Amino acid sequence: MLEAENLETGYGPMQILWGITIKAEKQSITTIIGPNGAGKTTILRAIMGMIQPWNGKITYDGDDVTMLPPHKKVERGLSMVLEGRHLFGGMTVKENLILGAYTKQARERLDDSLEIVYTLFPILKERSTQKAGTLSGGQQQMLAIARALMTRPKLIMLDEPSQGLAPIVVEQVMDTLKKLREELEITILLVEQNVLVSYHTADYTYIIENGQVVKEGEPSECIDIQEIRKAYLGV
Amino acid sequence: MVFFEQLAGNLLYGIILGAVYGLATMGLSQIFGVLKIVNVGHGAFIMVGAYVAYWMFVLYSVNPILSIPVALVIGLALGLGIFYIVIRRLIGAPELASLLATFGIGIFIEEVAKFFWGPDHRGFSWNIGQVDFGITLIPNTKLLAFFSSVIIALILYMLFQRTRIGAAIRAVVEDREGAMVCGIDVSRIYAMSFGIGIAMTVIGGILLTLFIPVGINPYMGGEYTLKAFVIAVLGGLGSPWGAFIGGFIFGLLENGSYTILGLIPGVEPFSLTRFVAFSALLVILLVKPTGLMGGE
Ligand SMILES: Nc1ncnc2c1ncn2[C@@H]1O[C@H](COP(=O)(O)OP(=O)(O)OP(=O)(O)O)[C@@H](O)[C@H]1O
Ligand SMILES: [Mg+2]
Repeated sequence: MLEAENLETGYGPMQILWGITIKAEKQSITTIIGPNGAGKTTILRAIMGMIQPWNGKITYDGDDVTMLPPHKKVERGLSMVLEGRHLFGGMTVKENLILGAYTKQARERLDDSLEIVYTLFPILKERSTQKAGTLSGGQQQMLAIARALMTRPKLIMLDEPSQGLAPIVVEQVMDTLKKLREELEITILLVEQNVLVSYHTADYTYIIENGQVVKEGEPSECIDIQEIRKAYLGV
Repeated sequence: MVFFEQLAGNLLYGIILGAVYGLATMGLSQIFGVLKIVNVGHGAFIMVGAYVAYWMFVLYSVNPILSIPVALVIGLALGLGIFYIVIRRLIGAPELASLLATFGIGIFIEEVAKFFWGPDHRGFSWNIGQVDFGITLIPNTKLLAFFSSVIIALILYMLFQRTRIGAAIRAVVEDREGAMVCGIDVSRIYAMSFGIGIAMTVIGGILLTLFIPVGINPYMGGEYTLKAFVIAVLGGLGSPWGAFIGGFIFGLLENGSYTILGLIPGVEPFSLTRFVAFSALLVILLVKPTGLMGGE
């Protein structure tokens, strides 16, 4: 579905990614984990076209999309939930959702999309006239996911959607992602700091350090769960 | 009593001129709001508008109000041209770069104007009677300028609030990256915002000619750049609607102070209104650095 090959990029003169190769299979949940500053966000930004790749190739749905700008990628069904959500805080929930359906294809299916996201997140329907900035953290995250769904994506990339959320809310978000995959047949590429969450959600995992893939495989292969339990829970 | 009548008359004039000031500043705020670039060459586009009004009147006997569509087209073309040649490269560049560039563009336009049209003042007179408000007489041309400004500002407001493009522009102002992942072509929004901003400024320039007794010349814009900065700050930089309201406040301040300064013996009030305006700017910046209507 999506493949980045040998991706290199950075900011200004500073190189951050040193030849990243990752793949997201159709209708799978793939996670990227790694320490702060490893370059996880940079990978997603480069794939989205928000920063230009210096080298390497991005293939999506069989096409080379390496140099396409973000809005062209959205048109093709690639969407992203940014780190820190980036909602339009001064606009209402509904205005945020309508802006999600900005592209021509998405606009034609606006009513249908609204119904889907309202069914998925009933709270957003209740709060539809409320300003996005006044929602709780969990609700904002749901709105960010809902806004991404409004673009009618085939693949969603999410950058740390569980950041700053209570564990119970994190679980809800992960359940939602599984639902998206099962019911809407959406492919998911997830950056997730929380290794345990990643372990329980992912079909396939990449571990990134210093802008390189250091390990990859099914979570049970590449994540040492005992080690993590020890580190996280002190068991 | 005479004083109060004079003051009331001047304040009325201040409101009328204020609407035009407001319109002539909306473009500056619009461009800053969307592109985060301060157009230091703002006044040069006011001057372009003034010459559009002049030449349309002198060559084709088209009055300034009817020249507004011409200004719109010229402003859009000029704005888009400058955007694609220069401004596009300055998005996200250090502030100094965009300040210098817009300053340079302003000077370039002024020099081109001087080359073709000479440095002298030119004027035209369009007289279609006046209305007696009891406290003062206001020429119909100025009233037309007032209503045109209000109507254009309202049209823009509807454009921003009710259309898809307007929503996209607001989205980019609120969160550029959020807009990108919604599928909004942010560079196109930049181009359009710059084009619309310059077009509004050129239209403002047209209407301002109806308030300039001494006529127009290629360097007339500087004064309006300064005034526009005060007005934009009054309105909370970045918001065209704030700027429109700021225009009224500035018009009232400028013309109110004119009356009051006139009471002081030996003072030539006209020369001091600018002093008052900039004192007001300093006070506002000290008290509320984000501007009177500014949010954050
Ligand atoms: N806009 C930027 N300009 C310059 N350097 C940046 C920029 N954004 C990120 N970096 C640097 O790039 C490196 C990788 O950042 P990135 O945001 O991709 O890390 P990350 O893995 O997502 O980290 P986190 O877990 O904290 O989100 C870091 O060293 C960071 O300081
Ligand atoms: Mg990150």
